[in-house]
Amino acid sequence: MAEFEPVLLRRILKNASPSLEAYRADGGYRALDKALAMSPADVTKAVVDSKLRGRGGAGFPCGVKWTFLPKDHPGPIYLCVNADESEPCTFNNRILMHQDPHQVLEGMIIASYAIRAQVAYLYIRYEYGDATRAMQQAIDEAYAAGLLGKNILGKQGFDLDVYIHRGAGAYICGEETGLIESLEGKRAWPRIKPPFPAVEGAFRKPTIVNNIETLACVTHILDRGPEWFKSMGTPADPANPRDAGSYGPKLYCISGHVNKPCCVELPLGVTARELIDKHGGGVWKGRKAKAIVPGGISMGFLTADEIDTKLDFGSLGPFTKNGCLGLGTAAVTVIDEETSMVDVLYNICRFFEHESCGQCTPCREGTGWMLKIVDRIRKGLGRAEDLNILEEVGHQIGIMPGTTICGLADGAGWPVKQAIRKFRAEFESYIKSGKKTHTLQLVAAH
Amino acid sequence: MPTVYVTYTPKNNGKPPENLISAQAGKETLQLVPVEIGSDKLNCIQAAQRAGVFIPHYCWHPALTVVASCRMCLVEVGERKPDGSIAMTGKLVPGCQTPVKDGTVVVTNSQKVVHEQAQTLESLLLNHPLDCPVCDKAGECLLQDYTYEFGRATSRMIDLKNTPANKPDLGPNIALFTDRCIMCSRCVRFTREIAGTAELQIINRGNHSEIDIFPGEPLDNKLATNVVDLCPVGALCSKDFLYKHRVWNLKTQNSVCPDCSTGCSIHLDGNKNIVYRLRPRENPQAQGYFMCDEGRLGYHYINSKERFLRPLRRQDGKLTPFSYDEAIRTVRQMLKDAVAKDAFGVVVVLSPFLTCEEAFLLAKYAKSLSKAVQLALGPVPIVGEDDTYPKDRRGRPIQPVKFTIRAEKCPNRQGVERILRHYQGQLIAFDEVVRQAEAGKLQLLYLAASYPPRGDGWLTAEQAATLGKVGQVILHDLYPSRASEIAHVVIPGGAFAEKDGTFVNHAGLAQAIHWAITPTGECRTEGQVVLDLMQRPGLLHAATLRKELASEVKAFAALASGDLGEYGILLDSTK
Amino acid sequence: MAPASHPSGDKRFKILDVTMKRHLYQHDALIEVLHKAQELFGFLELDVLLYVARGLKLPPSRVYGVATFYHLFSLKPQGEHTCVVCMGTACFVKGADRLLAAIEQQAGIKAGQTTPNGKLSVMTARCIGACGIAPAVVFDGVTAGQQTPETVQQQLKGWL
Repeated sequence: MAEFEPVLLRRILKNASPSLEAYRADGGYRALDKALAMSPADVTKAVVDSKLRGRGGAGFPCGVKWTFLPKDHPGPIYLCVNADESEPCTFNNRILMHQDPHQVLEGMIIASYAIRAQVAYLYIRYEYGDATRAMQQAIDEAYAAGLLGKNILGKQGFDLDVYIHRGAGAYICGEETGLIESLEGKRAWPRIKPPFPAVEGAFRKPTIVNNIETLACVTHILDRGPEWFKSMGTPADPANPRDAGSYGPKLYCISGHVNKPCCVELPLGVTARELIDKHGGGVWKGRKAKAIVPGGISMGFLTADEIDTKLDFGSLGPFTKNGCLGLGTAAVTVIDEETSMVDVLYNICRFFEHESCGQCTPCREGTGWMLKIVDRIRKGLGRAEDLNILEEVGHQIGIMPGTTICGLADGAGWPVKQAIRKFRAEFESYIKSGKKTHTLQLVAAH
Repeated sequence: MPTVYVTYTPKNNGKPPENLISAQAGKETLQLVPVEIGSDKLNCIQAAQRAGVFIPHYCWHPALTVVASCRMCLVEVGERKPDGSIAMTGKLVPGCQTPVKDGTVVVTNSQKVVHEQAQTLESLLLNHPLDCPVCDKAGECLLQDYTYEFGRATSRMIDLKNTPANKPDLGPNIALFTDRCIMCSRCVRFTREIAGTAELQIINRGNHSEIDIFPGEPLDNKLATNVVDLCPVGALCSKDFLYKHRVWNLKTQNSVCPDCSTGCSIHLDGNKNIVYRLRPRENPQAQGYFMCDEGRLGYHYINSKERFLRPLRRQDGKLTPFSYDEAIRTVRQMLKDAVAKDAFGVVVVLSPFLTCEEAFLLAKYAKSLSKAVQLALGPVPIVGEDDTYPKDRRGRPIQPVKFTIRAEKCPNRQGVERILRHYQGQLIAFDEVVRQAEAGKLQLLYLAASYPPRGDGWLTAEQAATLGKVGQVILHDLYPSRASEIAHVVIPGGAFAEKDGTFVNHAGLAQAIHWAITPTGECRTEGQVVLDLMQRPGLLHAATLRKELASEVKAFAALASGDLGEYGILLDSTK
Repeated sequence: MAPASHPSGDKRFKILDVTMKRHLYQHDALIEVLHKAQELFGFLELDVLLYVARGLKLPPSRVYGVATFYHLFSLKPQGEHTCVVCMGTACFVKGADRLLAAIEQQAGIKAGQTTPNGKLSVMTARCIGACGIAPAVVFDGVTAGQQTPETVQQQLKGWL
């Protein structure tokens, strides 16, 4: 394959100024001009044709989502931009917003034009202060330049206002209806679906929720055309009619035990091995990888044997051989051979116990129970049957079996189930070794 | 006709319904009960209920919004195709959130569903303290009931449970046992959607979520204690009932709250001649699902030791006890003598707390003595104005109204008035009686009062002074009051919890009340007293009297069967 | 109608009024207003929550529910300095728990607590997106990467 030329990170890699002037000098807002020359339906069609799949984690086709909006709705229709990047080890949205905010903003304006939204909310997690300031700066510049406000770029009737909404520390705000609830100033409890946000979302109006990276891709799809976008990545499997393919460039975040943690842009479908060895500088200290988190911790683990797995929407999934939940945010975390999986799992369980919103019983209670069990195992009081319980609970919570409202629970259960399945021997020997660092009081249950 | 199909689960002693059909869903054969739903918008739980199948649920309540968070009502759904085959979706869905339409198949007993129900229950019990022996709810707890029916016998959890602190003063009438809570959020939704006062909220997150109030802003509204009934477990407890009685020893009767003219259907729980609590009973024709705290907690007078327990007569200015039989003879004689002397000077006053049967008997008896005997309506207590809910933050009512506490603080003005109109022709108000007494026209006053002790008493000081001028005053009442001070004979009355009969509410809905306790001492209900005065043998039997009432008083013709059913019967409008 | 300012006369309530007014007292501004309140007061006292509830015409319970849901809102006073240890997976596998143990030992408190002299609050965070420089610790809002127990203890020395 010819050397890939980064698109999303193009300006960032050359340290270009985030200012509007510099962005325009680099060909910025050309895509918006092109989009405004088209009808909103044609813009949507271009995005549908590009087969762009959402970069937020679930990989739902972006253009198709836009078509779910009720036809001829009198409005208002809202665009919500999900920049509550909370999946551990994921930081590509932060880089995009902080260092090239206009690229994101252009995508937002194009998307708003396509879906006929006149208000766009940018929901940024509170921890991203720099990114928030950069986006606000870009928004202010855009207003001054007539890229936001009334009759944008002279297009009669195309008005758009963008508001930044800061989060306050809740992973669940990354779930689209949780985000909408938070936007409305409430506890971010995901809503029951249907109705889906495209029908009834923010303030009970049709709403489209898109990820930052997705919208950055929209910019380039409009600029270079759907065919260009589809020239990259892993094509759909013709034998599988449900495979929507994995097209376009993707930002991979590499962290953990590698020599050079970084964020790198590559066409979808790169293998974990290539990412780690070529782009991450290999596993640190000359060690080997024991486990690889392929796309944020909620996706599960790849073992060292599965290092040649392609990281795209089709190669990772519940029905693939590796059994991971999906591509997720494509945040690859390497765990070296010296690290205890018990500790890793403990950390993951603690995260989800802390971040479960507490609405659905299986997730609220399940995350708490799994943490207690792993904590006990870690303290040397594990029992052989605990592993079966962990696997069962991990398997049973989530939207896939249908036991919860949102997908957080799937993400909470998946790494537990996978850790036990793929590293059972390690857990068993840990339990057998009877390593005891603390004594824990046991109570008899009923 | 739109039809929904619900799986049939064989029960130990039940016969399968006759219309049971077999249908093929993939490899499995399903036994389905067809149920016609007409044009009703139902969810799976409601549709299954019509088919006689129970789907366990916690967070769902017909009066509250759907949150689908407890995940107890998970079922599988599918569709019955015109060719009779069934296509299942293969996924669990919450029954509360899933609407049914023509051809919907609801599977409530598949392996997947049964497993998930057990799993959800195990989850709910992980941090539950299992302190059933000291829990008020034990015996009527849905966590107990469902675990018994759908759950596992043992828990696999050996770790320490979460032990959030209890909140004994969530409100003046409510205590929260935080650790028992299963986070169904019914209480939170109730305070937001029905009361509108929104005192309750879930605080914290995930495994550490708790129900709480804003510190210093207690759960204090007139509907507050409904959260105790809504709570499926023993988390929210009524302080009034707390630690008073085990629920399995209570005997429950269907009755009607007598505290206002809304006439909330209630369950009356008592044991060994003590009333322990009142709970709302669902009645779509009356109040819906709830009742107010005034009515709920206003029953204590029934159990009071201050009540009249024996008939009394005035001797040397003091009321002294005498026997019931003698009292009946005395009163009968007094009436007879008075009627013989001047029937126009005899007035029988019927309070709006009497049942229709009692009012009917008394009216019939009085008019049998002489047509000239006057029948009048006792004072109708009105306090303030109708109080509607939900309310906004400032206490202003919001539309649509979901609950009304009425200003008319009596249960049966409508019923008694109908009887008075029939027997007297026109309605004589109590003020008219007082005027006649003032004018010296009265020689005997028969007051069938039995007002519960509220506020300053049912008779004002001026009224009492005026009525005191009447030569003879016969009184049925529960408590010493201004009325008993002027009475020459007092016969102890019965409280609503001791009566069988009919109350007619503000909308003309006739509902049955049933006795949960018997009158103590030598008390008799007014109805029984009148029967004895009439020398009609036997004990009062409400259904028989109701038939008699229906045949004699046209306004009650709708009650001809004598049976009012669970929800009551609407009489013709009085307007 | 603007609500009357706080009876205490504390000027910070005036600033809070301005924030609420700028958001037109809309209910959906609650989180932003709480951020402002926390900036002004350091933490969210019940009195402040009640003030916000009245300003935005929300039930106090709802404000309380939101303030306790989001973990960046604190209902307890914070120390003069804050030290937030990132517990994201990348930081954790690179030794964040050892950093935290060192800090807890040095400060004599557990994560989530403030030293008795009010100088330092120690907290943990979920992933802060600084995985490239893991393990990361945020000292008074400034993110420091590639931390070791020694560098952390050095940093905290002046603060205790």
